[in-house]
Amino acid sequence: MAKDRALAKANAISVLGVVAPPPIHVASPHFEGSLASLFLCVKERRIDLRDVPLLPICASYFEYLLASPKINLEEAAAALTALAYMIERKASSILPRWEEPEAPPDEQLELPEPTIHEFDLAIEALEQWQQERAAKFFRAPGGGPDAYEVPYSLSDVSLPDLARAFERLLARAAPEPIESLAKPRRSLAEGMQAVLLALTEEPRTLEELLLPPYTRSEAVWWFLALLELIRLGRVSVSLEGDEPTFARAN
Amino acid sequence: MESSLVDVLEALLFVADAPASAQSLASVLGLTEGQVEQGMEMLGSRLQEKGSLEMVSIAGGYQLCTKREYAEVVANFLKPQRNRLSRALLEVLAIVAYRQPMTTQEIDLVRGVASDYSVRALVERRLVKEVGRKSSPGRPVLYGTTQQFLHQFNMKDLNDLPPVQTSEAKASEIVEETL
Repeated sequence: MAKDRALAKANAISVLGVVAPPPIHVASPHFEGSLASLFLCVKERRIDLRDVPLLPICASYFEYLLASPKINLEEAAAALTALAYMIERKASSILPRWEEPEAPPDEQLELPEPTIHEFDLAIEALEQWQQERAAKFFRAPGGGPDAYEVPYSLSDVSLPDLARAFERLLARAAPEPIESLAKPRRSLAEGMQAVLLALTEEPRTLEELLLPPYTRSEAVWWFLALLELIRLGRVSVSLEGDEPTFARAN
Repeated sequence: MESSLVDVLEALLFVADAPASAQSLASVLGLTEGQVEQGMEMLGSRLQEKGSLEMVSIAGGYQLCTKREYAEVVANFLKPQRNRLSRALLEVLAIVAYRQPMTTQEIDLVRGVASDYSVRALVERRLVKEVGRKSSPGRPVLYGTTQQFLHQFNMKDLNDLPPVQTSEAKASEIVEETL
C-alpha cells in the first residue's frame, strides 16, 4: 500500500491515471510544455489542436522509445494513449462539417386556425336545398319487380286466403312425436313430388289434398312445397267460395 | 315524331327508380344525346303545364318527381322518415364537397375538431364514400361525395355548389395580383 502511494506521488501530474507519460517536451508556436500538459489542455478544450503539429511529437515519442535503455511499458502506454486521443481529436476537427438543416416544425404542434367559416355560405345552401328536396318525392329505389322472378298467377286468391287455409291445415295437425335429434331432413324437392302426386286436374281444397294423420312440421313442409309449385306455375289456384282450391296446371 | 319521343322518354322516366342519364337513354333509344336533351326539355315543359309530376335534372340524370304543391298530401301518404343532417354533418359534407378527395385528418384541420364520427355517419348515409388512399405515410383513406349526395341535395352536379372564397383561393388571388 505504501509502495502504491509512493508511486502515485511520483506520478502526480498524470492526467491519465497514476502513470504519467514520458517527459516529452513539446515546443510549437502555439504551445510549449510537456506532453502531459498538452494532453490536459486538449482534453479541456483550452487549445486548438489544429495549431499544434502532432507528427514531430509522435516522432519524438518513437525516438524516446528507441533511445531508452529500459522501456517503461506503463509510461509508453500512457504516452501512446495520449497521442492516440489527440490524433483522433485533430482528425475529427479537420473533417469538413455540414450544417444540418433545421427540422421542419411539427405540424401537430402548429395547427392552423380552423377555416370552417369559409364554408358558411355552402352550408347555408345545403340546408336550404335539403329543405327544398324534402318537398319532392321520387320513385323509391329498388321498388320494382325482380326482373329475374318468373311471374306467377294466384288467380283471384289472395295471400290471406292462402294463410287462412294453411291455418286450418295446421289446426288439424297431430302433435309432433318424440324423435331422436338426428331425424332425417326432408327436402323441398321431396315435398314437391308428394304434392304433385296428391294433385289432380280437378280443383281440390287443402283438406282434401292432405289427409290426416300428419304433424305440424309435415304440414309446413307440404305447404311450402305447394307454394313453390305455384311459383313455378305447376299448380293453378282458384277460389271456390271462401276456400282456395288447387289443381295441376295444364 | 317529336311527340312520340317525348312520350317514350316519359315512359322510361316513369319506370326508372334512379336518375337516367342522357347517355343511357340515347343508347337505349338509338338517338344522340342532343336529341334526348331536346326531348327532355319538351317533356319538362309539358309536365310543367299540367299534371302532378315534374321532370327534374338531378344527380347527373333526369327523373320524375311530384310537384311541390303535392308535397303535403304525398308526405301524409308515405309518412317518410325525415332525418335532416345536423350542423356538424353539413360542415363535413360541405368541406368534402369542395375539397374532395381528402382525408379525415385534413377535414379535422379545416374544422378544428375531430370529424371521425361525422365522416362515419355520412358514409353510413351513403353521402360520402371512400374514393382511394393518399400516397402518404399510413396511406390514409380519401373521401369524396356520392351520387346520393347530389340527389339528396337536389343538385345536378358539383358545379351547382355556390362559389366559396377559401383561403387557398384568396392566396392564389394575392399571388396573381402581386405578379
